[in-house]
Amino acid sequence: MSLMYVVRESLSGFNRAKFAALSSIMTIMISLLFLGIFYVIADNTSRLVGSIRERVEMEAFLDEPAPKAKIADVERALTALDGVDHVEFVSKEAAAKIFREEFGEDIMSVLDVNPLPPSFKIFLKPEYRNTVKAEELHERILAIDGVQSDIFRKDMLQFIEKQSRALSLGGLGLGILIAISAIILVSNTIRLAIDAKRRSVQTMKLVGASRWFIRSPFILEGVIQGLLGGMLAALLMYYLLTFVTGMISGELAEFLRAELSFYGLMTLAGTALGLLGSLISVRRFISDAVAG
Amino acid sequence: MINFSHVSVSFRGQPVLADVSFHVNPGEFVSLVGETAAGKTTILRLMYFDLRPDQGEVSVGTYTSSLFRKKDVHLLRRTLGIVFQDFRLLEDRTVYENVAFALEVTGAPPSEIGQRVLRVISDVGLSHKRNNMPNELSGGELQRVVIARALVNSPKVLLADEPTGNLDPATSMEILQLLKAINGSGTAIVLASHNYDLVRRSESRILKLADGSIAEIDPQQL
Repeated sequence: MSLMYVVRESLSGFNRAKFAALSSIMTIMISLLFLGIFYVIADNTSRLVGSIRERVEMEAFLDEPAPKAKIADVERALTALDGVDHVEFVSKEAAAKIFREEFGEDIMSVLDVNPLPPSFKIFLKPEYRNTVKAEELHERILAIDGVQSDIFRKDMLQFIEKQSRALSLGGLGLGILIAISAIILVSNTIRLAIDAKRRSVQTMKLVGASRWFIRSPFILEGVIQGLLGGMLAALLMYYLLTFVTGMISGELAEFLRAELSFYGLMTLAGTALGLLGSLISVRRFISDAVAG
Repeated sequence: MINFSHVSVSFRGQPVLADVSFHVNPGEFVSLVGETAAGKTTILRLMYFDLRPDQGEVSVGTYTSSLFRKKDVHLLRRTLGIVFQDFRLLEDRTVYENVAFALEVTGAPPSEIGQRVLRVISDVGLSHKRNNMPNELSGGELQRVVIARALVNSPKVLLADEPTGNLDPATSMEILQLLKAINGSGTAIVLASHNYDLVRRSESRILKLADGSIAEIDPQQL
């Protein structure tokens, strides 16, 4: 089969139905642009959530008095627990110093005594930085002899989890919806192309053109539409991000960055949408029967 | 060449062909006659595998309906030439392009296409009109283009479904002469027609369809 023929025929589809082809390209472009923006936000949010999770820690306060041997026992018990990455000891003096740094006053001068108990800051392994696992660990820490209490920011963890789940689910739902509408539009454009060429399709069947020969120009037409839509979306996305990050600065600008491969992926996604749309139409609207 | 063995076909519960058996030999000229809706077109559609029999078997060359895979239908059609009453030409292409189209879609080498197309257009007597568009041609000329398109792949059989249905008597005779000449060069022809005068002059073996059955008849019985 001549490649030139396939390319020529698929380009003739653009010529014949310029408006339909253009609207397919624009829909793919807008869909992908929308998805792209959403993806950049979701991706960067998940990175932000990850860095917040890294800071999730517990603090176990010890019974007083806490002799050195007892402190060593608790440290051993803590580090032996699954989920504990490492611990840091905070002595009564160090706690008083932290208090001074945070409140600007020396607790000794206010109360005459240092009521702050010694403690261990507990850093969690990544797989334990979620509400369920952290809660389990919390219970096991409390059961250790010599531990008076254990605190951790459960509410913060819960908030992060809830928000990131909502964002992922919302993004996925929206993404699927947009992708489906883009596929339907491409499929419709290809259907118009098939309708316009019904006679030549019939003739091709009569004279013995292979199934692939008849279908490939239509499939290529969808692929080209998808490719153009994807490329335009990637280009627009690049300029949009450059423009927005140029207007803001610092951490916020970092929040909106995208890798180069992301633009390639957008183009590829457009091509895939175009291919899917045209495959659907070709399968539905070109039968093997001459009369069909 | 073509063999129908106990073939039955129904449409929406109405039997069109009932237990029909016949054959067409290589190089033979066979005419199918019968009233409108007697099943002539159905028989031709069975021959180019646009339709499968409900019962029985159709063989065309090396292809058999019961063993046939739908995706291979193009291979069978490349061994046939098909001519229709309504021409089915592409209106946006010239005579030359319409004929060349049949070669392009079968993947013929581009270097061969020009020569083969010009030869077959000359065989049907349309060399001078090769650059004309279909809307600039008469009915007889249009049918010649269709015949040229059917012949350009050098088919073993030419199937013609009412090829003179839209033509005046004189032009119909010209088309018949062309078909006879094609048959003379070794191509088998199956002609479906209700133009009994034309069939009588075709000097072909005549098969008559009536009430779902087929029978061979003499020209005098028409």
